Amino acid sequence: MSEAPRRSWSRRLLSNRNVVAGLLILTVVVAAALAADLVSTHDPRRLDPPSRLSPPSAAHYLGTDEFGRDVWSLVIHGSRVSLAVGLTTMLLTSLGGILIGLVAGYYRRLDLPLMRVMDGLMAFPAILLAIALMAARGPGVWNVIFALSVVYTPRTALLIRSTVLSIRETDYVQAARALGRRDLGVAVRHILPNCVGPLLVQGSFIFAYAILAEAILGFLGVGVPPYVPSWGNVIASGKNVIREAFWVSLFPGVALTLSGLSLNLLGDGLRDTLDPRLRVP
Amino acid sequence: MTAYLVRRILALVPVLAVVVTVVFLLIHLIPGDPVSVMLGPDATPAQIQATRQALGLDRPLPEQLLKFYARMLRGDLGQSYFLDRPVTTALLERAEPTLVLTVSALLVAVVIGVPSGIVAAARPGSLWDRFLMLSALLGVCVPGFWLSLNFIYLFAVRLGWLPAAGYASLLVDPLAALRYMVLPAVSLGFSQSALIARISRSCMLEALQQDYIRTARAKGLSQGTVTWIHAFRNALVPVVTVIGITTAILIGGAVVTEIVFNIPGLGRLIISAVFRRDYPVVQGVILVTATAYVLINLVVDVLYVFIDPRIRYE
Amino acid sequence: MTFGRLVSRGIILALLAVVLLGGPALAADAPKRGGVLRVGNLGEPPALDAHWTTASITETLTNHLYEGLYSLDASNRPIPMLAEGHTVSRDGLTYTFKLRQGVKFHNGKEMTSEDVVASLARWGKQSIYGKALFAQVVEWKAVDKYTAEMKLKEKSAIVLISLAVPNNFGAIYPKEIAEKFPPEIKVTEYVGTGPFKLAEWKPDQYIRMVRFDDYKARNEKPNGYGGGKTAHLDEIRWIPVPEVATRVAQVETGELEFADDLNLDAYDRLTKNPNVRPLVSKPYYWLVAVFNKKEGLMTNQKLRQAWQAALDIEPIMKNVAGGKAEFYRMDSSLAPVEITAWHTKLAGLPWNERNRDKARRLLQEAGYKKEPIRFMTTQEYKWMYDFALLTKQQLEDAGFTIDLQVVDWATLVKRRNNSKEYDVFTTGMGAFYDPTHHIYLTASWPGWTTDEDILRLQAELARETDPKKRMTLWEQQTRQFYEKVPVIRYGDLFGLRGIRNTVKGFNEKTERIRFYNVWLEQ
Repeated sequence: MSEAPRRSWSRRLLSNRNVVAGLLILTVVVAAALAADLVSTHDPRRLDPPSRLSPPSAAHYLGTDEFGRDVWSLVIHGSRVSLAVGLTTMLLTSLGGILIGLVAGYYRRLDLPLMRVMDGLMAFPAILLAIALMAARGPGVWNVIFALSVVYTPRTALLIRSTVLSIRETDYVQAARALGRRDLGVAVRHILPNCVGPLLVQGSFIFAYAILAEAILGFLGVGVPPYVPSWGNVIASGKNVIREAFWVSLFPGVALTLSGLSLNLLGDGLRDTLDPRLRVP
Repeated sequence: MTAYLVRRILALVPVLAVVVTVVFLLIHLIPGDPVSVMLGPDATPAQIQATRQALGLDRPLPEQLLKFYARMLRGDLGQSYFLDRPVTTALLERAEPTLVLTVSALLVAVVIGVPSGIVAAARPGSLWDRFLMLSALLGVCVPGFWLSLNFIYLFAVRLGWLPAAGYASLLVDPLAALRYMVLPAVSLGFSQSALIARISRSCMLEALQQDYIRTARAKGLSQGTVTWIHAFRNALVPVVTVIGITTAILIGGAVVTEIVFNIPGLGRLIISAVFRRDYPVVQGVILVTATAYVLINLVVDVLYVFIDPRIRYE
Repeated sequence: MTFGRLVSRGIILALLAVVLLGGPALAADAPKRGGVLRVGNLGEPPALDAHWTTASITETLTNHLYEGLYSLDASNRPIPMLAEGHTVSRDGLTYTFKLRQGVKFHNGKEMTSEDVVASLARWGKQSIYGKALFAQVVEWKAVDKYTAEMKLKEKSAIVLISLAVPNNFGAIYPKEIAEKFPPEIKVTEYVGTGPFKLAEWKPDQYIRMVRFDDYKARNEKPNGYGGGKTAHLDEIRWIPVPEVATRVAQVETGELEFADDLNLDAYDRLTKNPNVRPLVSKPYYWLVAVFNKKEGLMTNQKLRQAWQAALDIEPIMKNVAGGKAEFYRMDSSLAPVEITAWHTKLAGLPWNERNRDKARRLLQEAGYKKEPIRFMTTQEYKWMYDFALLTKQQLEDAGFTIDLQVVDWATLVKRRNNSKEYDVFTTGMGAFYDPTHHIYLTASWPGWTTDEDILRLQAELARETDPKKRMTLWEQQTRQFYEKVPVIRYGDLFGLRGIRNTVKGFNEKTERIRFYNVWLEQ
């Protein structure tokens, strides 16, 4: 499968509607995050008490919050935190998963104990773990990233491990080992390329969940400091004035939904394209 | 089958050991000294030392870990600093609301999700199918807590149909209990219903492709009978798995729902415990929820064996 | 029928009509016995031991279960509660308290001087106000069954007022309980003389207080926090609802009859609701930023003065008050308007100067090099976070560098005792009924005010008994406060409460809520 020409891959990918839709929305979100200063109309941290709780208008596209901060700028800048958390979590879980999955799949003696540890780690509800970490270390975005990574790395590890197991017995890998090629080399050249597909699929969903988790924890007050623009923080600040100023909680919620949507569509599309067998757990 | 079950149960032991170890490590991640945090700023050095000895915190880490295991096996989860009672008591007092919420949300998720998935699978590509699957996709992406806020605003404050928050025990006042549970269960269960709907649909579709279904249809059995009886049984297997996963997600999602709706369950307990630095309670909640997840997975695996005759031997 | 008969018949009929029609109207104002009042508050009390903490929630709850020797009347002056009265010796050094007789505790025991002596001795070791008073006490003992005697080192102005303040107060417990629990350990048995007794405490769910049938009320009419108290309600159920949005929603929908500590933005909503009424409580808190004067950047007085000079307080107060002028008050007096005895109207104080140039000059004189100032606050009291954030922006525009640290309240309370951990923290002051009770003017309270002039004036205030002389001292102290700047005084913030129309008899004038003399219209 790794020998298949790349061309038809990308063509297959791009012909999938979900992938295209997902990528489009994601691109918009990423672009907003990268060009935040350009796209924003105000400094999102600038308080402007006289204009507090103003409805959407030409001056403030999405209205203002209780301190007079511009909601549009808050949402745009908030995407940075969400994307940063999502990306970091995805990268950490992928790296961790690759490492552990390779070791487990390759060295049979380590497999059983590692899998038990993975089972144990997967048992923790990520949100609760992040909250518990907050008790020990105080609030902060690294609690979120760490807790999510602890709980989701095992899933990635399992995925990698099963790929390793299925490929390990194939002819060319056997041949490579017989030829005396080092394990690492075999892993990198033959096994990893086959993992890219499942990793991307898994990664999209982890990314989506990490964004949501960050918002939940921000909402609960255990994420990034409250004056840092983040979607969870803005929704939290709007919940007390939902009657008087529904727009404060509304728009970050929409942004959250759209981001989640883009990543889920992407994940679905990638799964359909790259490996239909992965569809059902 | 018995062998499988026995092996499965034995496998619990190392998993639970890992869970207990992680819970133990949580408290030791605190920078600085947990005892002076516990006793407060007015504690004298003599008091701190005495408490440290009493709690065994001056012994080396591995020894502490072993003692911790021993305590866990005895069922002794320690004493809550703030609530002046054993952690086990505090957990038992709060378990009911969380259980009721989780089960209600699960019911909502299954009752909405499974039929939606089946209906969508019965007419693939139709308008109904597209609509249901689009709703399901949105349902997966919409944040549950945001939905809760909007529900409260719409149904409780604006329309006045349902209470805005609160909890009543089923055993004490079932009618009130139901009224209080509607909004929390729906906002929590809705996003999970989306997942279940999508999975049900794809499982049903797969099941409908099976040869023996085609044969049954060829024999002339009506569409309805075929769809609902035969395919359903096969679709049940992955759906049961998803229910297992869903329960785990719900346990985590219950936290925010309990906060927003002021339900006195384990989720609210852990948040208050965190803010009060009541570490034994924090450890207790994490331990209980993780163990619950492990046990639920066990139950799901066992159910598998009964539902899917193909999985008799590993 | 004679004309006379007609007239008398007419009069009788008219009277009947008045009684029949007017009767129910009159009866509607008569208290009804019974019912459960559900009150939503911020959260769990750290303790139900009045001696142990100054927390507002504890204060509110314990004042339903316990009573002290004295209480405060509607003008915030001490009036007898469990005491019948007192006499003072000629030299002012001996106070003899006569106790009321036949007052029962919740466990049926009668209150005697033994209970009073034991309770106040314990209070004198733990409570802020108790410690301040007992620092002057040489001897405190029971003379006979209903008399207790206090001997002082020197003349004191603060005996009665200390025994009367409702916060962290000298609650009378049975002797056995006062002696069983050392002062640093919270009591876990709750027996008092108050009109309600504790029925059940389920943490994070509710605290249930039920009517104490053998409560011996004073004969007077209700007066402020004191006077006659009647428990019309069968039960008060205190329900912790940490989310303010939920508290508001629940009082609107009727799941709560009363909701305390609401956000001011909810005022309009409550006004529009036909079943609920908003109550504006004055004063609620006055906002302060407390400086760490023991170590760190803010030991530099010029820096503190610069902060004071730079602030434009009104827009901050207005924002914290939900944009509404009715919810805050600008005032430089250290005692709010409602504490009539100690309210000052001094001119020329450097309060709310909004003078950026002066601030910059002071920063230069202070040698400030833009080092970050650690400013600690919490979101659990929303108004604290609000004024901290607004302050940060104003100060940074004036040349400061502020490192805003948002933690939970428990952490803030712990950290503020450690001089290495912060430079400034936010808090709100409630009402102090006596100048000597202003905790931020002491050396032991966080922030550690050690200025000689301030401490000297506080000591004189404790000794001086003539009210006019005390006021002069207090005005001097106020001027010292604004020159030495131990804390920054912002404005007065008012609070919002929600009450349903079925709740009658509630005293809207007291600073904190009380539910004796309250009844429910079913």
